[in-house]
Amino acid sequence: MSRLYDSRTTIFSPEGRLYQVEYAMEAIGHAGTCLGIIAEDGVLLAAERRNVHKLLDEGYFSDKIYKLHDNMACSVAGITSDANVLTNELRLIAQRYSLQYQEPIPCEQLVSWLCDIKQAYTQYGGLRPFGVSILYMGWDKHYGFQLYQSDPSGNYGGWKATCIGNNSSAAISMLKQEYKSEGVKLAEAMKLAVKVLSKSLDITKLTHEKVELATLTRDGNSCKITIMTATDVQKLIDEYEADEAKASAEKKEKEKASKS
Amino acid sequence: MSIMSYNGGDVIAMMGKNCVAIACDRRFGIQAQTVSTDFDKIFEMGPKLFVGLPGLATDTQTVAQRLKFRLNLYTLRENRAMKPKTFMSVVSNLLYEKRFGPYFIEPVVAGLDPKTNEPFICSLDLIGCPMVTDDFVVSGTASEQMYGMCESLWQPDLGPDDLFETISQALMNAVDRDATSGWGAKVYVIEADKVTIKTLKARMD
Repeated sequence: MSRLYDSRTTIFSPEGRLYQVEYAMEAIGHAGTCLGIIAEDGVLLAAERRNVHKLLDEGYFSDKIYKLHDNMACSVAGITSDANVLTNELRLIAQRYSLQYQEPIPCEQLVSWLCDIKQAYTQYGGLRPFGVSILYMGWDKHYGFQLYQSDPSGNYGGWKATCIGNNSSAAISMLKQEYKSEGVKLAEAMKLAVKVLSKSLDITKLTHEKVELATLTRDGNSCKITIMTATDVQKLIDEYEADEAKASAEKKEKEKASKS
Repeated sequence: MSIMSYNGGDVIAMMGKNCVAIACDRRFGIQAQTVSTDFDKIFEMGPKLFVGLPGLATDTQTVAQRLKFRLNLYTLRENRAMKPKTFMSVVSNLLYEKRFGPYFIEPVVAGLDPKTNEPFICSLDLIGCPMVTDDFVVSGTASEQMYGMCESLWQPDLGPDDLFETISQALMNAVDRDATSGWGAKVYVIEADKVTIKTLKARMD
């Protein structure tokens, strides 16, 4: 019966494009922003929290950032229900590897495995692709700190800094200008993340309720994944706003001086 | 020759006042031949949750790994530590899944509730029948001897130090009466704020 529909969802267009995959990416373009940055001593993921409704019963801890394994975490942008299925699958993949090899899964292998599953949904079964893009941060003994991005087509890439979701292109161009690949420590990277988020989000003022920030660092022989508390996030935002105020005040002074 | 006594080994767990202790011997042997004296049968499953897996050594390793698998996924999904009572159900389920081709393990669980720090001990048989007690549980090739020792030495509401002494004497004297047990002993005392691991100076024969 399904053979009648097999050829519907994932066929090429005359120009050689996969429309369903592109439509999935469109869905993600409207979702909450996520960005990731690698620093010398760690990786961070920052996400815009969109579900801030007064009536929402805040039972859970984290909206967009999920721990996958001791050495990896991810943040998602797109259809939340699709994301839940994928994060569950990622956790299972990581545990199965861990059970078989008695060591944590290397980051790229986890990403690659899930991307093969995502790709299958663009070619077989007559099912629609997952409407989720995922940013992964992790550490392994082969390549150290890593940041990966995967999309509904099943494509993935390793990045030094990247962004997905709403206004991601604006964020990426800002990151392109401001990101330094050498000598950046995690604290600096967090400041950069707050700066990029506040400039690319649609809201006027950044508050800790709208932002989730998580970091991954090495602590001796093990990884530490920390999801920052509301107070720490607010501190970062306040610091950023203070810096901005100072910078604009200095600019005004310079203009005054040059005019007079 | 019973498959459960092929490798030898024992585990005891005891309940104390706001604490639990779990202890094992360290022998790994192949029938009469002792191969290793650092084969621990107790595995940490959470900061205040330990499981002892005496029996066939290969199953000791495999069951510990498979339990960790299930526990890890639980922790990731539920975002909280697993209670000892829940863990007992996980062990029971894992063992019963192999009802007609079982793992040759008779586990012992000991831990404190992650929130309330209430102490908990239990043991299970090789096909997953759980037994919760409020005094002590024993399992292994010297189980008869351990039952005798525990029954005489144990009293309720022992503090951590007294519990350590009691469980150590019970284990050591029991395994000394069994050819395929012994060759060292390790004791874990689990309290609300810390876990103390001690290696006992025991008869190495």
